[in-house]
Amino acid sequence: MTFLETILACWQHIKDKLPKKSKRRFPLLKLPRVVLLECIGHLDVLEIILFSLLSKRAKSITKLIRWNPPIIHLTNDQQIQLKLSTDPGVTWIIAYVNYKELSKYPYFQSNIMGPEVNHFLLLKDNGNAVEDIKPMIEHICEVFRSPIFGITILNESLIEWLINFQPTIQSSWVCKDVITVKTLERISKNLKVKQFLGFDSVTIDEKFKFTETLPCTSISIHNSFWITLPSILNGNNSIIRLYGSELSPTDINVILKEWYLGWKLRDLEYMVIHTTTLLDTDSYVREMFKDLNMTISVTNDGRPTTVKLNHEWTITLPDEELVNNLTRSDGKILSIFGHYELFADEKTKIFLNLQVWRQQS
Amino acid sequence: MSSTEQGTSSAAPAEPTTAPESAAAPEVPESFYYVHGKDKVVHKVSAGALQHSALIHGMISNLGYTEEQAKANPFPFENIDGDILQMVVDWCNQHKGKPTPPEDTNLPKQKEKLFDLVLAVNYLEIKELLTYCCKQVAMMVKGKSPEEIREIWMIPTDAEDEAAEKEAKKRAGKEAAGETAAAAGDAK
Repeated sequence: MTFLETILACWQHIKDKLPKKSKRRFPLLKLPRVVLLECIGHLDVLEIILFSLLSKRAKSITKLIRWNPPIIHLTNDQQIQLKLSTDPGVTWIIAYVNYKELSKYPYFQSNIMGPEVNHFLLLKDNGNAVEDIKPMIEHICEVFRSPIFGITILNESLIEWLINFQPTIQSSWVCKDVITVKTLERISKNLKVKQFLGFDSVTIDEKFKFTETLPCTSISIHNSFWITLPSILNGNNSIIRLYGSELSPTDINVILKEWYLGWKLRDLEYMVIHTTTLLDTDSYVREMFKDLNMTISVTNDGRPTTVKLNHEWTITLPDEELVNNLTRSDGKILSIFGHYELFADEKTKIFLNLQVWRQQS
Repeated sequence: MSSTEQGTSSAAPAEPTTAPESAAAPEVPESFYYVHGKDKVVHKVSAGALQHSALIHGMISNLGYTEEQAKANPFPFENIDGDILQMVVDWCNQHKGKPTPPEDTNLPKQKEKLFDLVLAVNYLEIKELLTYCCKQVAMMVKGKSPEEIREIWMIPTDAEDEAAEKEAKKRAGKEAAGETAAAAGDAK
Protein backbone atom coordinates (compact mmCIF):
# COMPACT_ATOMS: atom_id res chain seq x y z
CA MET A 1 0.00 0.00 0.00
CA THR A 2 1.42 3.39 -0.96
CA PHE A 3 1.62 6.28 1.44
CA LEU A 4 -1.22 8.04 -0.35
CA GLU A 5 -3.45 4.94 -0.15
CA THR A 6 -2.74 4.68 3.57
CA ILE A 7 -3.72 8.31 4.09
CA LEU A 8 -6.91 7.81 2.06
CA ALA A 9 -7.81 4.65 4.00
CA CYS A 10 -7.30 6.51 7.29
CA TRP A 11 -9.41 9.41 6.10
CA GLN A 12 -12.18 7.04 5.00
CA HIS A 13 -12.06 5.34 8.40
CA ILE A 14 -12.36 8.71 10.20
CA LYS A 15 -15.13 9.82 7.85
CA ASP A 16 -17.15 6.65 8.56
CA LYS A 17 -16.82 7.24 12.29
CA LEU A 18 -18.05 10.83 12.06
CA PRO A 19 -21.78 11.47 12.42
CA LYS A 20 -23.46 12.08 9.09
CA LYS A 21 -23.64 15.73 8.23
CA SER A 22 -27.08 17.17 8.83
CA LYS A 23 -26.90 19.18 5.60
CA ARG A 24 -27.34 15.93 3.71
CA ARG A 25 -30.71 15.52 5.36
CA PHE A 26 -33.94 17.45 5.69
CA PRO A 27 -35.72 17.56 9.07
CA LEU A 28 -39.19 17.30 7.57
CA LEU A 29 -41.05 16.93 10.86
CA LYS A 30 -39.61 20.22 12.10
CA LEU A 31 -41.49 22.15 9.43
CA PRO A 32 -44.62 24.07 10.48
CA ARG A 33 -47.59 21.71 10.25
CA VAL A 34 -49.25 23.44 7.27
CA VAL A 35 -46.01 23.38 5.26
CA LEU A 36 -45.30 19.81 6.24
CA LEU A 37 -48.74 18.78 4.98
CA GLU A 38 -48.20 20.63 1.71
CA CYS A 39 -44.91 18.78 1.19
CA ILE A 40 -46.56 15.42 1.87
CA GLY A 41 -49.40 16.47 -0.41
CA HIS A 42 -47.00 16.43 -3.38
CA LEU A 43 -46.10 12.75 -2.90
CA ASP A 44 -47.47 10.17 -5.28
CA VAL A 45 -49.65 7.28 -4.15
CA LEU A 46 -46.82 4.80 -3.50
CA GLU A 47 -44.69 7.40 -1.75
CA ILE A 48 -47.61 8.30 0.52
CA ILE A 49 -47.92 4.64 1.50
CA LEU A 50 -44.19 4.22 2.12
CA PHE A 51 -44.01 7.42 4.16
CA SER A 52 -47.05 6.51 6.27
CA LEU A 53 -45.47 3.13 7.08
CA LEU A 54 -42.35 4.72 8.59
CA SER A 55 -43.80 5.36 12.04
CA LYS A 56 -47.01 5.96 13.97
CA ARG A 57 -46.32 9.71 13.82
CA ALA A 58 -45.77 9.63 10.06
CA LYS A 59 -49.03 7.70 9.68
CA SER A 60 -51.03 10.12 11.81
CA ILE A 61 -49.59 13.08 9.85
CA THR A 62 -50.50 11.42 6.56
CA LYS A 63 -54.04 10.85 7.79
CA LEU A 64 -54.49 14.59 8.36
CA ILE A 65 -54.66 15.12 4.60
CA ARG A 66 -57.93 14.44 2.84
CA TRP A 67 -56.56 12.50 -0.11
CA ASN A 68 -58.36 11.93 -3.32
CA PRO A 69 -59.62 8.42 -2.43
CA PRO A 70 -58.19 5.73 -4.69
CA ILE A 71 -60.18 2.78 -5.99
CA ILE A 72 -58.60 -0.19 -4.25
CA HIS A 73 -58.53 -3.70 -5.71
CA LEU A 74 -56.86 -6.90 -4.63
CA THR A 75 -56.26 -8.88 -7.79
CA ASN A 76 -55.83 -12.59 -8.37
CA ASP A 77 -52.05 -12.29 -8.72
CA GLN A 78 -51.53 -10.93 -5.20
CA GLN A 79 -51.41 -7.33 -6.31
CA ILE A 80 -52.97 -4.38 -4.56
CA GLN A 81 -54.01 -2.00 -7.30
CA LEU A 82 -54.93 1.63 -6.71
CA LYS A 83 -56.44 3.99 -9.24
CA LEU A 84 -57.45 7.61 -8.89
CA SER A 85 -60.64 8.70 -10.59
CA THR A 86 -58.83 11.91 -11.59
CA ASP A 87 -56.14 9.96 -13.43
CA PRO A 88 -57.71 6.79 -14.85
CA GLY A 89 -54.74 5.96 -17.09
CA VAL A 90 -52.41 5.47 -14.13
CA THR A 91 -52.42 2.40 -11.89
CA TRP A 92 -50.38 2.16 -8.71
CA ILE A 93 -49.56 -1.43 -7.91
CA ILE A 94 -48.10 -3.06 -4.83
CA ALA A 95 -47.03 -6.54 -5.85
CA TYR A 96 -45.63 -9.31 -3.67
CA VAL A 97 -43.08 -11.19 -5.72
CA ASN A 98 -40.07 -13.38 -5.36
CA TYR A 99 -37.88 -12.59 -8.33
CA LYS A 100 -34.45 -14.17 -8.13
CA GLU A 101 -32.92 -11.39 -10.21
CA LEU A 102 -33.98 -8.77 -7.66
CA SER A 103 -31.39 -8.45 -4.92
CA LYS A 104 -33.04 -5.57 -3.12
CA TYR A 105 -36.62 -4.91 -2.03
CA PRO A 106 -38.65 -2.76 -2.26
CA TYR A 107 -38.11 -2.25 -5.95
CA PHE A 108 -39.79 0.40 -8.10
CA GLN A 109 -40.73 -0.17 -11.70
CA SER A 110 -42.93 1.66 -14.20
CA ASN A 111 -44.41 0.26 -17.40
CA ILE A 112 -45.95 2.36 -20.12
CA MET A 113 -48.49 0.62 -22.31
CA GLY A 114 -49.93 3.06 -24.83
CA PRO A 115 -51.82 5.71 -22.90
CA GLU A 116 -51.68 3.69 -19.68
CA VAL A 117 -48.96 3.68 -17.05
CA ASN A 118 -48.43 1.12 -14.31
CA HIS A 119 -46.24 2.10 -11.39
CA PHE A 120 -45.09 -0.92 -9.39
CA LEU A 121 -43.78 -1.20 -5.88
CA LEU A 122 -42.39 -4.72 -5.65
CA LEU A 123 -42.25 -6.19 -2.17
CA LYS A 124 -40.71 -9.49 -1.19
CA ASP A 125 -43.09 -12.45 -1.03
CA ASN A 126 -41.84 -14.49 1.89
CA GLY A 127 -44.05 -17.42 1.02
CA ASN A 128 -47.26 -16.20 2.60
CA ALA A 129 -48.03 -13.00 0.77
CA VAL A 130 -51.75 -13.14 1.62
CA GLU A 131 -50.91 -12.63 5.30
CA ASP A 132 -48.78 -9.60 4.40
CA ILE A 133 -51.45 -8.23 2.09
CA LYS A 134 -54.13 -8.06 4.81
CA PRO A 135 -52.40 -5.50 7.09
CA MET A 136 -51.14 -3.60 4.05
CA ILE A 137 -54.70 -3.19 2.71
CA GLU A 138 -55.96 -2.20 6.16
CA HIS A 139 -53.21 0.42 6.33
CA ILE A 140 -53.98 1.79 2.86
CA CYS A 141 -57.72 1.97 3.56
CA GLU A 142 -57.05 3.83 6.81
CA VAL A 143 -54.59 6.33 5.35
CA PHE A 144 -56.67 7.16 2.28
CA ARG A 145 -60.01 6.77 4.08
CA SER A 146 -61.16 4.66 1.19
CA PRO A 147 -62.78 1.23 1.31
CA ILE A 148 -61.71 -1.75 -0.74
CA PHE A 149 -63.66 -1.61 -3.98
CA GLY A 150 -62.99 -5.07 -5.29
CA ILE A 151 -61.29 -8.18 -4.04
CA THR A 152 -60.27 -11.48 -5.49
CA ILE A 153 -60.65 -14.10 -2.80
CA LEU A 154 -57.48 -16.10 -3.18
CA ASN A 155 -57.92 -18.33 -0.16
CA GLU A 156 -60.44 -19.08 2.57
CA SER A 157 -58.68 -16.96 5.20
CA LEU A 158 -59.46 -13.85 3.17
CA ILE A 159 -63.20 -14.48 3.58
CA GLU A 160 -63.08 -14.33 7.39
CA TRP A 161 -60.73 -11.35 7.26
CA LEU A 162 -63.04 -9.50 4.85
CA ILE A 163 -66.15 -10.26 6.91
CA ASN A 164 -64.45 -8.66 9.93
CA PHE A 165 -62.70 -5.82 8.17
CA GLN A 166 -65.19 -4.70 5.54
CA PRO A 167 -68.36 -6.75 5.18
CA THR A 168 -69.74 -4.54 2.41
CA ILE A 169 -67.83 -4.49 -0.85
CA GLN A 170 -68.57 -3.49 -4.41
CA SER A 171 -67.00 -6.33 -6.31
CA SER A 172 -65.68 -9.77 -5.48
CA TRP A 173 -64.39 -12.73 -7.44
CA VAL A 174 -63.97 -16.04 -5.65
CA CYS A 175 -61.06 -18.03 -7.08
CA LYS A 176 -61.10 -21.58 -8.29
CA ASP A 177 -61.43 -24.24 -5.61
CA VAL A 178 -61.57 -21.77 -2.71
CA ILE A 179 -65.19 -22.34 -1.82
CA THR A 180 -66.61 -25.02 0.40
CA VAL A 181 -70.25 -25.43 1.42
CA LYS A 182 -69.47 -23.73 4.72
CA THR A 183 -67.65 -20.73 3.24
CA LEU A 184 -70.29 -20.33 0.53
CA GLU A 185 -72.87 -19.93 3.27
CA ARG A 186 -70.57 -17.54 5.18
CA ILE A 187 -70.29 -15.37 2.07
CA SER A 188 -74.00 -15.34 1.30
CA LYS A 189 -74.95 -14.52 4.88
CA ASN A 190 -72.13 -12.21 6.01
CA LEU A 191 -70.79 -10.43 2.97
CA LYS A 192 -72.73 -7.79 1.11
CA VAL A 193 -71.38 -7.62 -2.43
CA LYS A 194 -73.14 -4.80 -4.21
CA GLN A 195 -72.07 -4.59 -7.85
CA PHE A 196 -70.44 -7.82 -8.95
CA LEU A 197 -70.01 -11.27 -7.44
CA GLY A 198 -68.28 -13.98 -9.40
CA PHE A 199 -67.39 -17.58 -8.62
CA ASP A 200 -64.83 -19.64 -10.43
CA SER A 201 -65.25 -23.43 -10.38
CA VAL A 202 -65.80 -24.80 -6.90
CA THR A 203 -64.86 -28.05 -5.24
CA ILE A 204 -68.09 -28.89 -3.51
CA ASP A 205 -70.19 -31.98 -3.43
CA GLU A 206 -72.15 -32.21 -6.66
CA LYS A 207 -75.27 -32.98 -4.66
CA PHE A 208 -75.00 -29.62 -2.89
CA LYS A 209 -77.72 -27.20 -3.93
CA PHE A 210 -77.83 -23.54 -3.00
CA THR A 211 -81.30 -22.10 -2.55
CA GLU A 212 -80.49 -18.70 -0.99
CA THR A 213 -80.33 -15.56 -3.08
CA LEU A 214 -77.08 -13.80 -4.00
CA PRO A 215 -78.14 -10.16 -3.57
CA CYS A 216 -75.82 -8.44 -6.01
CA THR A 217 -76.46 -6.51 -9.22
CA SER A 218 -74.32 -8.75 -11.38
CA ILE A 219 -73.41 -12.38 -10.76
CA SER A 220 -71.25 -14.72 -12.79
CA ILE A 221 -70.86 -18.37 -11.81
CA HIS A 222 -68.70 -21.00 -13.44
CA ASN A 223 -69.61 -24.61 -12.83
CA SER A 224 -72.93 -23.30 -11.56
CA PHE A 225 -74.62 -26.68 -10.92
CA TRP A 226 -75.19 -25.66 -7.31
CA ILE A 227 -77.37 -22.64 -8.09
CA THR A 228 -81.04 -23.57 -8.04
CA LEU A 229 -84.10 -22.09 -9.70
CA PRO A 230 -85.47 -20.51 -6.45
CA SER A 231 -82.10 -18.82 -5.95
CA ILE A 232 -82.52 -17.14 -9.35
CA LEU A 233 -86.22 -16.38 -9.10
CA ASN A 234 -86.11 -14.86 -5.63
CA GLY A 235 -83.06 -12.70 -6.30
CA ASN A 236 -82.97 -9.15 -7.57
CA ASN A 237 -80.00 -9.57 -9.89
CA SER A 238 -79.82 -7.58 -13.12
CA ILE A 239 -77.04 -9.54 -14.80
CA ILE A 240 -76.95 -13.32 -14.31
CA ARG A 241 -74.34 -15.45 -16.04
CA LEU A 242 -74.50 -19.18 -15.36
CA TYR A 243 -71.87 -21.39 -16.95
CA GLY A 244 -72.04 -25.17 -16.57
CA SER A 245 -75.61 -24.78 -15.38
CA GLU A 246 -77.99 -27.63 -14.61
CA LEU A 247 -81.10 -25.61 -15.29
CA SER A 248 -83.48 -27.68 -17.42
CA PRO A 249 -85.65 -26.36 -20.28
CA THR A 250 -88.56 -26.58 -17.82
CA ASP A 251 -86.64 -24.33 -15.39
CA ILE A 252 -85.98 -21.84 -18.18
CA ASN A 253 -89.67 -21.99 -19.08
CA VAL A 254 -90.49 -21.06 -15.46
CA ILE A 255 -87.99 -18.17 -15.61
CA LEU A 256 -89.66 -16.85 -18.77
CA LYS A 257 -93.17 -17.20 -17.34
CA GLU A 258 -92.23 -15.52 -14.05
CA TRP A 259 -90.59 -12.66 -15.89
CA TYR A 260 -93.69 -12.35 -18.10
CA LEU A 261 -95.97 -12.14 -15.06
CA GLY A 262 -93.76 -9.36 -13.69
CA TRP A 263 -93.60 -10.36 -10.02
CA LYS A 264 -90.17 -11.89 -10.10
CA LEU A 265 -86.91 -11.12 -11.88
CA ARG A 266 -88.01 -7.49 -11.94
CA ASP A 267 -84.49 -6.11 -12.37
CA LEU A 268 -83.35 -8.62 -14.97
CA GLU A 269 -81.44 -7.04 -17.86
CA TYR A 270 -79.33 -9.87 -19.19
CA MET A 271 -78.91 -13.55 -18.52
CA VAL A 272 -76.52 -16.14 -19.90
CA ILE A 273 -77.20 -19.85 -19.48
CA HIS A 274 -74.70 -22.42 -20.67
CA THR A 275 -76.00 -25.92 -20.10
CA THR A 276 -76.16 -29.41 -21.60
CA THR A 277 -79.07 -31.65 -22.51
CA LEU A 278 -79.79 -35.09 -23.82
CA LEU A 279 -82.91 -33.83 -25.58
CA ASP A 280 -82.87 -32.97 -29.23
CA THR A 281 -82.91 -29.24 -29.87
CA ASP A 282 -86.50 -29.14 -31.18
CA SER A 283 -87.83 -30.82 -28.06
CA TYR A 284 -85.65 -28.55 -25.91
CA VAL A 285 -86.97 -25.39 -27.56
CA ARG A 286 -90.59 -26.69 -27.41
CA GLU A 287 -90.22 -27.34 -23.67
CA MET A 288 -88.55 -23.99 -23.05
CA PHE A 289 -91.27 -21.98 -24.83
CA LYS A 290 -94.24 -24.08 -23.69
CA ASP A 291 -97.43 -22.02 -23.19
CA LEU A 292 -95.66 -18.78 -24.07
CA ASN A 293 -96.64 -16.41 -26.82
CA MET A 294 -93.25 -16.10 -28.49
CA THR A 295 -92.70 -14.06 -31.63
CA ILE A 296 -89.74 -14.25 -33.98
CA SER A 297 -87.81 -11.31 -35.38
CA VAL A 298 -85.36 -11.68 -38.22
CA THR A 299 -83.93 -8.16 -38.14
CA ASN A 300 -82.75 -6.09 -35.22
CA ASP A 301 -85.60 -3.72 -34.58
CA GLY A 302 -83.91 -1.60 -31.93
CA ARG A 303 -82.49 -4.18 -29.53
CA PRO A 304 -79.27 -2.88 -27.93
CA THR A 305 -76.18 -4.65 -29.17
CA THR A 306 -74.12 -4.14 -26.01
CA VAL A 307 -74.61 -5.04 -22.35
CA LYS A 308 -72.78 -3.57 -19.37
CA LEU A 309 -71.78 -6.56 -17.27
CA ASN A 310 -70.25 -4.66 -14.34
CA HIS A 311 -68.36 -1.47 -13.46
CA GLU A 312 -65.53 -2.53 -15.76
CA TRP A 313 -66.83 -4.63 -18.61
CA THR A 314 -69.29 -4.01 -21.42
CA ILE A 315 -69.76 -6.76 -23.98
CA THR A 316 -70.98 -6.67 -27.56
CA LEU A 317 -73.64 -9.28 -28.18
CA PRO A 318 -73.40 -11.65 -31.15
CA ASP A 319 -75.19 -10.56 -34.26
CA GLU A 320 -78.10 -13.02 -34.41
CA GLU A 321 -80.32 -13.50 -37.44
CA LEU A 322 -83.15 -15.13 -35.56
CA VAL A 323 -84.37 -13.91 -32.20
CA ASN A 324 -87.33 -15.12 -30.15
CA ASN A 325 -89.17 -12.37 -28.35
CA LEU A 326 -91.53 -12.38 -25.40
CA THR A 327 -93.34 -9.06 -25.06
CA ARG A 328 -94.87 -8.01 -21.74
CA SER A 329 -97.87 -5.73 -21.22
CA ASP A 330 -95.60 -2.91 -19.95
CA GLY A 331 -93.78 -2.88 -23.28
CA LYS A 332 -90.64 -4.65 -22.12
CA ILE A 333 -89.30 -7.34 -24.42
CA LEU A 334 -87.29 -10.39 -23.43
CA SER A 335 -85.26 -11.56 -26.40
CA ILE A 336 -83.83 -15.08 -26.42
CA PHE A 337 -81.12 -16.09 -28.80
CA GLY A 338 -78.15 -18.42 -28.87
CA HIS A 339 -76.75 -21.52 -30.44
CA TYR A 340 -76.03 -25.16 -29.69
CA GLU A 341 -73.24 -27.65 -30.28
CA LEU A 342 -73.64 -31.41 -30.65
CA PHE A 343 -71.20 -33.70 -28.85
CA ALA A 344 -70.22 -37.28 -29.56
CA ASP A 345 -71.69 -38.48 -26.26
CA GLU A 346 -75.12 -37.43 -27.58
CA LYS A 347 -75.16 -34.46 -25.29
CA THR A 348 -75.98 -31.07 -26.74
CA LYS A 349 -74.39 -27.96 -25.38
CA ILE A 350 -76.84 -25.07 -25.21
CA PHE A 351 -75.66 -21.44 -25.14
CA LEU A 352 -78.52 -19.07 -24.38
CA ASN A 353 -78.71 -15.30 -24.04
CA LEU A 354 -81.76 -13.62 -22.52
CA GLN A 355 -81.84 -9.87 -23.00
CA VAL A 356 -84.48 -7.54 -21.60
CA TRP A 357 -85.02 -4.29 -23.44
CA ARG A 358 -87.64 -1.78 -24.44
CA GLN A 359 -88.44 -0.42 -27.88
CA GLN A 360 -87.46 3.27 -28.05
CA SER A 361 -90.29 5.44 -29.32
CA MET B 1 -31.93 41.18 -9.42
CA SER B 2 -31.10 43.44 -6.56
CA SER B 3 -27.62 44.25 -5.40
CA THR B 4 -26.75 44.12 -1.74
CA GLU B 5 -24.43 45.97 0.57
CA GLN B 6 -23.04 44.84 3.86
CA GLY B 7 -24.07 47.09 6.75
CA THR B 8 -26.49 47.78 9.53
CA SER B 9 -30.17 48.31 9.29
CA SER B 10 -29.57 52.02 8.89
CA ALA B 11 -26.99 51.53 6.13
CA ALA B 12 -27.84 53.10 2.82
CA PRO B 13 -29.28 50.50 0.51
CA ALA B 14 -27.55 49.76 -2.72
CA GLU B 15 -29.24 50.60 -5.99
CA PRO B 16 -30.46 47.69 -8.05
CA THR B 17 -28.00 47.00 -10.83
CA THR B 18 -30.05 44.83 -13.13
CA ALA B 19 -33.60 45.66 -12.23
CA PRO B 20 -35.78 44.38 -15.06
CA GLU B 21 -37.15 47.21 -17.12
CA SER B 22 -39.67 46.25 -19.73
CA ALA B 23 -40.25 48.33 -22.82
CA ALA B 24 -43.84 48.90 -21.78
CA ALA B 25 -42.94 50.17 -18.31
CA PRO B 26 -45.71 52.07 -16.56
CA GLU B 27 -45.46 55.82 -16.67
CA VAL B 28 -45.88 56.16 -12.93
CA PRO B 29 -42.44 55.63 -11.33
CA GLU B 30 -42.22 52.40 -9.42
CA SER B 31 -41.85 52.63 -5.66
CA PHE B 32 -39.19 50.65 -3.81
CA TYR B 33 -39.01 49.20 -0.35
CA TYR B 34 -36.16 47.85 1.72
CA VAL B 35 -35.74 44.63 3.65
CA HIS B 36 -32.92 43.06 5.61
CA GLY B 37 -32.27 39.73 7.21
CA LYS B 38 -30.17 38.46 10.09
CA ASP B 39 -26.98 39.78 8.41
CA LYS B 40 -28.37 43.34 8.22
CA VAL B 41 -27.66 43.54 4.51
CA VAL B 42 -30.35 45.76 3.05
CA HIS B 43 -32.06 44.74 -0.17
CA LYS B 44 -33.92 47.24 -2.30
CA VAL B 45 -36.97 45.62 -3.82
CA SER B 46 -39.72 47.07 -5.99
CA ALA B 47 -43.29 47.10 -4.75
CA GLY B 48 -44.20 44.94 -7.74
CA ALA B 49 -41.75 42.22 -6.72
CA LEU B 50 -42.83 42.40 -3.09
CA GLN B 51 -46.42 41.73 -4.07
CA HIS B 52 -45.50 38.03 -4.07
CA SER B 53 -45.18 38.23 -0.29
CA ALA B 54 -48.57 38.54 1.37
CA LEU B 55 -46.84 39.47 4.64
CA ILE B 56 -44.79 42.36 3.22
CA HIS B 57 -47.63 43.47 0.97
CA GLY B 58 -49.87 43.66 4.04
CA MET B 59 -47.23 45.63 5.96
CA ILE B 60 -46.83 48.13 3.12
CA SER B 61 -50.59 48.60 2.82
CA ASN B 62 -51.01 49.08 6.56
CA LEU B 63 -48.03 51.39 7.11
CA GLY B 64 -48.60 53.63 4.10
CA TYR B 65 -44.85 54.47 3.92
CA THR B 66 -43.47 57.08 1.56
CA GLU B 67 -40.33 56.03 -0.29
CA GLU B 68 -38.18 58.14 2.06
CA GLN B 69 -39.74 56.58 5.13
CA ALA B 70 -39.29 53.12 3.61
CA LYS B 71 -35.62 53.87 2.91
CA ALA B 72 -35.06 54.98 6.48
CA ASN B 73 -36.89 51.98 7.94
CA PRO B 74 -36.10 48.75 6.13
CA PHE B 75 -38.38 45.85 7.09
CA PRO B 76 -36.34 43.75 9.48
CA PHE B 77 -36.52 39.95 9.18
CA GLU B 78 -34.11 38.95 11.91
CA ASN B 79 -35.22 35.33 11.75
CA ILE B 80 -34.10 34.93 8.11
CA ASP B 81 -30.48 34.34 7.14
CA GLY B 82 -29.04 36.89 4.73
CA ASP B 83 -28.31 34.43 1.92
CA ILE B 84 -31.82 32.99 2.19
CA LEU B 85 -33.40 36.44 2.06
CA GLN B 86 -31.24 37.14 -0.98
CA MET B 87 -32.66 34.04 -2.67
CA VAL B 88 -36.20 35.14 -1.85
CA VAL B 89 -35.62 38.68 -3.12
CA ASP B 90 -34.05 37.31 -6.31
CA TRP B 91 -37.02 35.04 -6.90
CA CYS B 92 -39.50 37.87 -6.32
CA ASN B 93 -37.59 40.09 -8.78
CA GLN B 94 -37.37 37.33 -11.38
CA HIS B 95 -41.09 36.66 -11.18
CA LYS B 96 -42.25 40.27 -10.90
CA GLY B 97 -45.42 40.78 -12.88
CA LYS B 98 -44.99 37.44 -14.66
CA PRO B 99 -47.25 34.41 -14.55
CA THR B 100 -45.50 31.81 -12.43
CA PRO B 101 -44.43 28.72 -14.42
CA PRO B 102 -45.56 25.25 -13.24
CA GLU B 103 -42.01 24.25 -12.28
CA ASP B 104 -39.04 26.17 -10.93
CA THR B 105 -35.68 24.49 -11.24
CA ASN B 106 -33.64 27.32 -9.72
CA LEU B 107 -34.25 26.33 -6.12
CA PRO B 108 -31.31 25.28 -3.96
CA LYS B 109 -30.42 21.62 -4.10
CA GLN B 110 -28.76 21.54 -0.67
CA LYS B 111 -31.27 20.20 1.81
CA GLU B 112 -30.17 22.50 4.65
CA LYS B 113 -30.61 25.61 2.51
CA LEU B 114 -33.95 24.37 1.24
CA PHE B 115 -35.17 23.87 4.81
CA ASP B 116 -34.30 27.46 5.72
CA LEU B 117 -35.80 28.71 2.47
CA VAL B 118 -39.08 26.87 3.15
CA LEU B 119 -39.29 28.44 6.63
CA ALA B 120 -38.55 31.92 5.26
CA VAL B 121 -40.98 31.61 2.38
CA ASN B 122 -43.67 30.34 4.70
CA TYR B 123 -43.04 33.24 7.10
CA LEU B 124 -43.13 35.78 4.27
CA GLU B 125 -46.26 34.12 2.87
CA ILE B 126 -45.05 33.72 -0.72
CA LYS B 127 -47.55 31.17 -1.89
CA GLU B 128 -46.16 30.20 -5.31
CA LEU B 129 -42.58 29.90 -4.08
CA LEU B 130 -43.76 27.83 -1.15
CA THR B 131 -45.48 25.46 -3.57
CA TYR B 132 -42.25 25.08 -5.59
CA CYS B 133 -40.26 24.47 -2.42
CA CYS B 134 -42.72 21.86 -1.17
CA LYS B 135 -42.58 20.08 -4.54
CA GLN B 136 -38.79 20.11 -4.27
CA VAL B 137 -39.01 18.60 -0.80
CA ALA B 138 -41.32 15.86 -2.12
CA MET B 139 -38.89 15.20 -5.00
CA MET B 140 -36.13 14.34 -2.51
CA VAL B 141 -37.64 10.92 -1.88
CA LYS B 142 -38.55 9.99 -5.46
CA GLY B 143 -37.66 6.35 -6.00
CA LYS B 144 -36.21 5.96 -2.49
CA SER B 145 -36.66 2.98 -0.21
CA PRO B 146 -38.42 3.40 3.18
CA GLU B 147 -35.09 3.45 5.00
CA GLU B 148 -33.69 6.04 2.61
CA ILE B 149 -36.81 8.19 3.14
CA ARG B 150 -36.36 7.84 6.90
CA GLU B 151 -32.74 8.93 6.54
CA ILE B 152 -33.34 11.86 4.17
CA TRP B 153 -36.29 13.28 6.09
CA MET B 154 -34.94 12.33 9.52
CA ILE B 155 -38.08 10.43 10.53
CA PRO B 156 -37.61 8.83 13.96
CA THR B 157 -38.73 5.28 14.58
CA ASP B 158 -41.62 4.62 16.99
CA ALA B 159 -39.11 3.67 19.68
CA GLU B 160 -37.21 6.92 19.19
CA ASP B 161 -40.45 8.92 19.30
CA GLU B 162 -41.50 7.18 22.51
CA ALA B 163 -38.11 7.80 24.12
CA ALA B 164 -38.22 11.47 23.12
CA GLU B 165 -41.74 11.80 24.50
CA LYS B 166 -40.69 10.24 27.81
CA GLU B 167 -37.71 12.58 27.98
CA ALA B 168 -39.90 15.62 27.26
CA LYS B 169 -42.34 14.58 29.99
CA LYS B 170 -39.50 14.09 32.44
CA ARG B 171 -38.07 17.50 31.59
CA ALA B 172 -41.49 19.17 31.90
CA GLY B 173 -41.97 17.51 35.30
CA LYS B 174 -38.60 18.75 36.50
CA GLU B 175 -39.32 22.27 35.26
CA ALA B 176 -42.71 22.29 36.96
CA ALA B 177 -41.12 21.09 40.21
CA GLY B 178 -38.48 23.81 39.88
CA GLU B 179 -41.09 26.49 39.34
CA THR B 180 -43.09 25.29 42.39
CA ALA B 181 -39.95 25.38 44.52
CA ALA B 182 -39.08 28.88 43.27
CA ALA B 183 -42.62 30.10 43.97
CA ALA B 184 -42.44 28.66 47.48
CA GLY B 185 -39.08 30.40 47.99
CA ASP B 186 -40.57 33.73 46.83
CA ALA B 187 -43.50 33.32 49.23
CA LYS B 188 -41.09 32.91 52.14
